[in-house]
Amino acid sequence: MKNRIRVLRAEHDWSQAQVADLLGIARQTVNALETGKYAPSLPLAFKISRLFSKPVEEIFDPDSVEE
Amino acid sequence: MTRQMNPTDRAKRQYMVRFVIAMIAYIAIIIPVSTAAAHTSGALRIALAMTPLIPIAVLFISAVVMIRSVDELERQIHIEALAISAGLTALLALTYGLLEVAGFPHPSAWITYCVLMFTWGITVPFVSRRYKG
Repeated sequence: MKNRIRVLRAEHDWSQAQVADLLGIARQTVNALETGKYAPSLPLAFKISRLFSKPVEEIFDPDSVEE
Repeated sequence: MTRQMNPTDRAKRQYMVRFVIAMIAYIAIIIPVSTAAAHTSGALRIALAMTPLIPIAVLFISAVVMIRSVDELERQIHIEALAISAGLTALLALTYGLLEVAGFPHPSAWITYCVLMFTWGITVPFVSRRYKG
């Protein structure tokens, strides 16, 4: 699923490792999310939403579900 | 500034430490216990023969704790890898079962456990590749 995590992370000047620590997930998971290889669960999507102070639909594009 | 390890990395590290300790304990006790069991009989023999099960039980509990502690993607990767490795183990067991009909020797049942652990270990990197950018 396409998303704006990489852009939002860059705006905050955070590394993938920092975002991983803030979300309590592995850095590889942040990378999988950013590249759209992995669609997060609803709880993780809301955690990401809270972290960047943006609504879920502004971060994730529901029309771009990738295989 | 010291960086605190996140829960997923910490869980994986703890599992590796427990895995190494359990394996060292298993290797350290398997030969003396087997030798001692061979020279005893009855309930003591059974108890001694079962002793190596203790580090393996620790290993099993550690694996469950690890799978429950890692993040959702890591958990998905491990569960997917376990499902594939269970299928591979079944396929290999069936294949060997048919070869036994053709005269191949009858192996010990514990080999199934080794095959499952081995195939799980080699399947995880392959499943992980799907999620790499």
